[in-house]
This record gives sequence, structure tokens and C-alpha cells, in this order.
Amino acid sequence: MPAIEQLVWGILLLPLISAAGITLFGLRRPRLAGVLSVGAAAGVAVLSLLVFTGTPFGEWWECSAEWLSVGELNVPVALRFDPLSLTMGLIVAWVSFVIHVYSLGYMRGDRGFGRYFAGLSLFLFSMLLIVLAGNLLVLFIGWELVGVSSYLLIGFWYQRPAAADASKKAFLLNRLGDFGFLVGLLLVWSKTGTVDISELECKLALDPGLLGSLATAAGLLIFCGVLGKSAQFPLHVWLPDAMEGPTPVSALIHAATMVAAGVYLLCRVFFLLALPGSAALELIAWVGAFTALLAAVIATQQDDIKRILAYSTLSQLGYMVMAVGASSVSQPPVAAMYHLSTHACFKALLFLGAGSVICAVHHEQNIWRMGALGKKMPVTFVTFLIAALALAGVPPLSGFFSKESILASVLESNVAARHALFAVAVAVAALTGFYMTRLVAVTFFGPERTQIAGQARESGMILTIPLLILAVPSAFAGFWGIDSAYASQFKGAAVEHAGVFGRIAAAFTHSPVATLWGLGAAIVGIVTGLAVYWNAATDRLPEKLGLVAGWARNRFYFDELYAALNEATHEFLSRLADGVDRWVISGIMVRGVHGSIELAGRLLRLTQTGNIQIHAVLLGAGIAILLLIVLRH
Amino acid sequence: MDPLTIIIAAPLAAAGLVAVIPGNYRFLIRVIALLATLLSAAVAIWVFAEFEPGASGLQFETRSVWVKSLGIGYHVGLDGVNVGLVLMGALVAFAAACVSREIAERVKEYYVLLLLMAGGILGAFLSWDMFGFYFFHELALVPTFLMIGIWGRGDDRVYATYQITLYLSFGALLVLVGLIAVYVQCGANTFDMVELHRHVAQTPIPAAAQRWMFPLLMFGFGVLVSLWPFHSWAPTGYAAAPTGVAMLHAGVIKKFGLLGLIRVALPLLPEGAREWIPVMGVLAVGNLLYGGWVAMRQSDLNRLLGYSSVAHMGFAFLGLASLTVLGVTGAVVVMIAHGFLAGLNFALSGYLRRVAGTTQMDRMGGLLDKVPFIGALLVMAMLAGCGVPGFANFVGELLVLFGAWEANKTWVVVAAWAGLVVGAVYTLRAVRTILHGPLRTELATVADPAGAWHRSAYALLVVALLLFGVVPGLLIARIEPDAKAVSGTIATGIEMKAAGEVGSIVRGAVAAAGVGVRQ
Repeated sequence: MPAIEQLVWGILLLPLISAAGITLFGLRRPRLAGVLSVGAAAGVAVLSLLVFTGTPFGEWWECSAEWLSVGELNVPVALRFDPLSLTMGLIVAWVSFVIHVYSLGYMRGDRGFGRYFAGLSLFLFSMLLIVLAGNLLVLFIGWELVGVSSYLLIGFWYQRPAAADASKKAFLLNRLGDFGFLVGLLLVWSKTGTVDISELECKLALDPGLLGSLATAAGLLIFCGVLGKSAQFPLHVWLPDAMEGPTPVSALIHAATMVAAGVYLLCRVFFLLALPGSAALELIAWVGAFTALLAAVIATQQDDIKRILAYSTLSQLGYMVMAVGASSVSQPPVAAMYHLSTHACFKALLFLGAGSVICAVHHEQNIWRMGALGKKMPVTFVTFLIAALALAGVPPLSGFFSKESILASVLESNVAARHALFAVAVAVAALTGFYMTRLVAVTFFGPERTQIAGQARESGMILTIPLLILAVPSAFAGFWGIDSAYASQFKGAAVEHAGVFGRIAAAFTHSPVATLWGLGAAIVGIVTGLAVYWNAATDRLPEKLGLVAGWARNRFYFDELYAALNEATHEFLSRLADGVDRWVISGIMVRGVHGSIELAGRLLRLTQTGNIQIHAVLLGAGIAILLLIVLRH
Repeated sequence: MDPLTIIIAAPLAAAGLVAVIPGNYRFLIRVIALLATLLSAAVAIWVFAEFEPGASGLQFETRSVWVKSLGIGYHVGLDGVNVGLVLMGALVAFAAACVSREIAERVKEYYVLLLLMAGGILGAFLSWDMFGFYFFHELALVPTFLMIGIWGRGDDRVYATYQITLYLSFGALLVLVGLIAVYVQCGANTFDMVELHRHVAQTPIPAAAQRWMFPLLMFGFGVLVSLWPFHSWAPTGYAAAPTGVAMLHAGVIKKFGLLGLIRVALPLLPEGAREWIPVMGVLAVGNLLYGGWVAMRQSDLNRLLGYSSVAHMGFAFLGLASLTVLGVTGAVVVMIAHGFLAGLNFALSGYLRRVAGTTQMDRMGGLLDKVPFIGALLVMAMLAGCGVPGFANFVGELLVLFGAWEANKTWVVVAAWAGLVVGAVYTLRAVRTILHGPLRTELATVADPAGAWHRSAYALLVVALLLFGVVPGLLIARIEPDAKAVSGTIATGIEMKAAGEVGSIVRGAVAAAGVGVRQ
């Protein structure tokens, strides 16, 4: 496919050129920066569609360019186009494009307009590198670079200490995960001699015992990278703080794409996680389930509109990770990727809607200072409602189908305690319905709680059109067969070709138990939410729940715990090393040598007075000592 | 004249010229210094481009006999290892001359010494004669002491001068003893390294002699590169040194010790290397982890950079200690990348010191608003320092980690922790304290350097870091064949000598150092 091969490099180069161009020429020219960045995003969107349609269904191909080759380590920039990367790439490209356009309106007039778009272009490049990488080291490079662009964009308003701290925290916690990821890569490379994904898959297919007893370790080390990037417990604390960045950044990086890269990576190396004898998947499932539950509980007691959505993102990511963990060779992680795709659309929509609301109420983010916005901002309200219902899993919106397929895959999984896992999943579904109802009811219905909320007006077209565009997949993506696109990636999965009604029916016939439980949970959540928060002036939940609500409000004190832990371990070691350097090495050793030589010199100087009598005494004493020694022998 | 001699002679001749110009012709002196270093840099770029990767033997070689009876001569040439180092050295020397605008006193003497440093270290990099190798290095080293003493800054200046002088002279002395021992033990009656390599290939130096010679060279060269725990001269010295000197020393001159290990210690003493390499690995990990941890606690930017440079040297030592093609190649890439990075770091901190009046980080804050250009470069330098892809440092560190994995997994895990996590902690803290947050009122008048010309020196170094980070093939194609030769010498040595007797000394030494090494 020569024509397509020419095109695919454009997918990577366009955003890179845009990032470089803006950095060199566009930092003080907002118009140029906007044109370059949005132009690049549009180009990527078109190219990705061309490549997607140009590749026959279910097939895959690769292309590569030489980059780094030393000894036995060969790292070409290999790009892999298979159903997994093509579909994911398509979603990343189009969601990015829509958010780029939205950013033009949202960031208008900001002094750092050029810097913002440079960061966004750099992010798009790195994210596409992750998605298209056919080589784990190239993927790792993209992985690090999305971390950098995320760092730059969270700290976009660096004058604010909270933003500056949040960006640092995000980068460091990601680095913690990347440490494990890199060690995992080293392990895989030393055992198999390759970091190329296709080659690795071949080698492991021929000899599943190649990693030996280290299969579990290798899988879990790579999963460490996912813990950081997808903010899974215990590295989940950075994502809520990352909301200090501009809202479109939260939508693109911290909801739709980058944080989902962890789930994507798990699916990319699924053959490695699912090796016979590896216990990695089971642990992954439980980490995901725990994160999903924890974050959902915290989300019910947050008041900042963006933080509610951030905890919801955490929770949904946990859901996807759990779905990967519940998969097996015979039941590949299609459901996780399906939910990733629909989630990317409706969560991006939720964040953009939140951005629209935040703009309308003059950068107020506390939902208890809003209210009754539904009538004043009809477009924002309707699109937000669609996305919220999709997230809650209400049929026939997209989220219903993907959530149903996760529930079904958990119920049918090989995990030992799959019923417990299923119970957690259902509980999270109920909590999701509850906190989204709370968010919508308090923000868009009820009384106007402040004057600002009363004066709110609908945002301009440049903000509302992206909302309308994203509302389409949020509502209808369940009918498009995204899951069969992913299913063609994996050998074990059944590819279904059904029409629109067939799909709705399939959701119920395929695994009726799972579907009914999921639907029931969503209804329970929504009804409870309405009962508590319809027309509520204040949050009545804390009185009812007491301690638990307080803990949830304070995010279960993880930040405080980690700060203390870090102080007791790493900071302590650093202090110790500094003390040793200051007192032992510089003090006793260097200054000690210097001091003792000087002291010896000063003492010897006492004997060299030039006084003839003292010399005579010393001479006599010397002779006496010599005589004593000679006579002794 | 042949290009390599021009690279060395341009700064040295300029030093001679400046020495006879009256001191009040400041502008002329500066122009001469800039032109001379620019000429070196231009020729270095040209030979780098013309260098044919993988061709056998030295390229652009020139030799002439000086003292025939002792086998001393002038012998310069390029192989894959020093071609990149010379390029880096010449570019950093030019940048150092550019930022020396800040010097106001005794300008003439300053430039004479700076040019001597530049010419000396480039001569050392290019020399294939052990005598010239050592002599040129001393020519570069001695002015360093004078310059810290005369143009240095801060209360610690005198102490720093003493310390760096005594430390480095001691290291150089060990090296001298080691080199003479090599000359005597080889019995080839030559100081020429090419001849020596050829000679030991036929008649190796007796293993018993190698056993005591290698540590002499390892610790001698090691002190010059701030091998842990002989590192404390570096942060103190760099904190006190004037900007140009810190750039040249941390970036360029320091690499001499590593080059010495690659040129002399490893290929000529393979048996000695084999026994002492585990010690070197442990000390390298000490550099990385300990240097990083101490850097986390620094409040002075220059001291932080000093400790971070100590930490980065750990990667180079680790790469050499791995004795694999990957590791040695990575070590050379780290040497070159760190040269650019250290030059950039100290140039930026020198600028901040000039405009903000301090290098105490907690007395700065929110500066990115006022110095977007310098600030952006500092962010890039800090990210490069913690191994972000796109910068040359990442490539070097990655190769070192992959290369050393087979040698010793514990070292690599610790090194990865130090590089990925500890490195990120102190670099991001520096960015957070210096650049982010609200602007401090007393810094309201701070501004970027005006005009493209005054920015070019900084930009040059960043461009080099990015270029070699994005297109690492430029360096690697040149380095790899020679790295293979270096690691190959030792590898064949290892094959020749089966298991037995070797382990005892190593284990003893390691046990003495109190660190366990996994076999």
C-alpha cells in the first residue's frame, strides 16, 4: 500500500511540525498558532480516516524507519496499523480535532495562547506515537512525551501555585509508574531479545514458556506504567489535581485520550499478560475494580464540577482496567476497548460542557454556587445530559452498550472470584448513576443559588458546535459496531455483524443477567440521586452518611498519607545522603585531611624556632633516644 | 595545515595573540577569542560531517616525532569516540566564550586562560600520544584553578579553589603514575596509543601488573570525573566558578577522565579491568543514587547542577562498567550529551545569577513571566537532565541501561530509579521554585537577553541536544564500531581466561566497600 504509507508519516509529522513551528514563530502570534495547530489536527483527522478506510477490515500492516540500532538492540520507528491501533487512532484524531476547535474559543485572549497550542500539538504527536507504535520502546518514548506535554499543560497557568504543584505531582507519579514500565521492558528484552510487538507476539506464540517464571513479573512491571498513566490505585492521586489545567486539556488529555492510553497498552500487550502461568491479569482486575469503586465513592462527595468528572474518569478507567483483567485468551479485552471508545466521546463532551458552564458563570467551579442553568444554556444542557445519561449507562445511548459488554465479560470471566468482581462492577454502576444525577440536578436544575448563576448565558458557537458534534457519537456509537472492529484484532473473539436493532437485541440476549443487573443499578442510582438532590439547596448526604461522607470528601486522606510516606522514606534518604555528604565526606574526610596536615605543619613549626638552645636540647634528646634504641638491641 | 591541528591551534594561537595585546583593547580581545573558538567549532563540525563511520583506522591523522628515544610525538587523529567529543568540546568552548561577556575585570587575562583551557582540552581529546594526552589535559586543568581563584564568586571561593586544585592534582598525579606504569610495563618504548594497542594485542601486560595498574588509572581518572565518593570538589567548585569556566570544566574537561578509561585503562589492561569493573559499577551506582539524593536537598541552583552532574557521570561509568557494545556506546553518548547539557545548565544559571543577583533558588520565583526565553530553555535543560526522550541524554541513558542489564540487574534497577524518579524530583523542584509560582516583586526588572545574537549561544546548545536526541544515528553510527572494539578487547580477554582465581580480589574489594554485588 504505497499511497497509504506516504500518508501515515503525515499523521505523525503534521502535529510535530505544528509544535515546532509554533514554538519558533508562533508564541507571540496567536492567529498563526491557532491556524497551525488546528490545521495539523484537521489534517491528522482526515489522514487517519483515509488510512482507516484504506486498510481492509481485520487486516494489519506495518511500516518503519530506522532510528536507533546498536548491537543487539534495534529500535526502528515502527508503526503498526491493525484494527486496534486504527480504531483507537481514529478516535484520538477526531476527539482531538473537535477539542482543538473548542480551544480556539475557550482560550481566546489568553496571553499564553501560542504556548497552549504548541503543547496541544506536542501532545497530539506523542499520543499518536503511542497508538501507532509497533515497538515497545517507541511506545515508551510516546509514553514519556505525553507525560511531558501533560506536565506543560497542567502547569499552563504556572503563576498559580496550585497549578504548578499539580503539574509537578502528575509528572512525578507518572515517572514512578514509568520506572516499573522500563524495568519491565528490560526484562522482556533480555528474555526474548526483542521489543518489537509483532516479533514478541510471534516468539511468545511459538514458545509460551519463553519468559519462564518471570511472566507474571514482566506483566505486572508493564502494568506499573499503566498505574501511573491511567491513574490507577495507588498512583491515582495526581488526576484530580490535574484539573488545574485548562478545561479543554482536561477533556482531551485527562479524560478522553492520554489516561486511556494505559488501557490501550494493556490491550496492546495482552498476549503477554495472558501467557499461561501468569497471574498478572487477576491482580489487574482487582486493582481496576478497587480504583473504580474508590473513585466512585469519592465522586459522590466532591463539589467542584471538574473534580467530580475527574473522579468519574478515574472510576471509569478502573472499570476498563478491570475489564482487561477479567479477559482471557478465549475472551479477549474487546469490552475494555469498546468502553474506552465510547467513554472518550461522552467524557470529552462532559468536560467541554463543564467548560462551557464554567465560562458562563465566570470561572466558578463549585456546583453549589450554580443551579437552574438548564433553561439558560439549552445546548450545553441537552448535550451534557446526553453524555451524563450515556455515562450512567441508560439505553440506547453508547455507554449502555459498552458498560453492558464489560459487565457481561466480568460475569463470564475466568477470574476466581468473578461474582465478587461483578458485584463491585454493579455497585460502581449504581454509584455512577447517583453522582451524575447529583451533578446534573444541582447544576442545571433547582434554584439559582448565586447571582452569577442567574446571569449565565449560553456560550458562543465555537464552544457549542463541538458539543453538538461530540453528542452524536455519545448517543449513537453503540450502533456502529465499534466492538466488532476491535474484535477482529483478536483471534478468539466472535465478530458479530448485526444491524441497529440486532445490536439492541443482542445486548439483552447475549448476557441478560449482566444487562439487567447493570440497568437496574443505573436506575437505582439515578432514582436515589433524584430523591436526594432534586431541588436541593445544600448537600444533605453528609448528615445521613456521617463519617463515610467526610472521608470521601477528603479523598480518604491518600494525599496526606503519601506525603507522610514520602517524607519518611525517600526524603529521609535524601536528607541522610545530604548529611553524609556535608559531615562525613566534605567534613571529616576532605576537611579532615586538610586540617590534619595543617595541624601537623603547625606542630612541627614549634620545633623550628631558630632558637639555638632549643635546637641543642632537641639534638641531645635525639641522641639520647638513639642511644637507648641501639643499646637495647 | 591539517584540520585537527587547526582545531587545537586556533584557541592556543589566539591565547598567545591576546597575551600581547594591551589589556584595554577589550573589544578586540573578545572578538579574537570569539573568532578563534568559532573557527575551532566550524572545523570541528566539518570534520564531524566528513568523518566516515566505520572506516578502519584513524581519520584526519597527523603524526610527527618529537623525542625519538622515548617514543614521544605529536599524534592526532579521529576515531568514532573522540569525533563527537571534539564537536561537543568546540561548540561548548564557543558558547563559553560567548557568555563570558559578564567578565568585567582583568578581561585580557581571563580570555588568555579561557583560550588555553579550550585549546588544551581539545588537544587532549584529539591526541593519540599518551604524553600529549596528559600534557594537553594539564594545560586545560591548571587555568581552571586560577580562574576559580581570581574570577570566582561567593564566600566559598578560596576554599573551593583549594579543594578543586588539591583534588584534581591528586587525581592527575595518580593518572601520571598509571600512565608511566603502562609505558614501562608495556616495554614497547612508545607513548603512542595506537602502537600500544597493537603491542598489547600480541604481548599483553602481565596480569599481576595489570591488577595494581588498573585501580591507579580507575581512581585517578575517576577523581577527575567526580567518581563517587571522590566527588565533593565538583559542586563546591562549580558553585564558585565563573560561568564560562563551569561550562568548560563540567561540560568538556571532565570528560577527559572517561576518555582516558576508554583509551588507556580498558583496552590496555583488560585483565585488570575485569577484576575491578564490579567496583566501578558499584561506585557508578553510588554516583547516580547518592548524587541524586544530595541534589534533592540543595537550595542553590549551582550546587544542584553540580550534584546532578555528579549523578549523570554515574551513567557514563555504568556504561563503561557493563563492557558491552550497548553500554560503551551509551557511555560515549552520555559523555557528549552531558557536555552540551552541563554547558547549557551553567550558562543559564550564570545568566540568572547576573540578572537576579543570586543562585539561591528560594530567592527566585515566578521568573518564567519575565524571562520566557531563558526560562523555556531551563525547562528544556531540566527535562533533558531527567532523561526525557527527544534530548540526546535519553538515548545515552537508555543504551546504558540496556547494556548494563546483563552485567548486573541490581545496578540497572537502581540506576533507572535514580534516573527516572530521583532525577525528576530535583529537576522539577528547581523549575517549580525558580520559574513557576507568583513573581517575586524584587525581580520585576529581570529580562531576557536582548537580541538574537545574545541568545544564540544558549540556543546552539539546545539545538545540539535536540538534534542528537532526535537523530541519534548521527552519533551512534560513528561510535558503535569503536565501542565494539573497546568492549571486544575485554570480552576476548574474558573468554581466554576461564573461571577461577579472579573473583577473590573483587569480592574482597566489594566487601570492603560494604556493598553487595549480585553475581
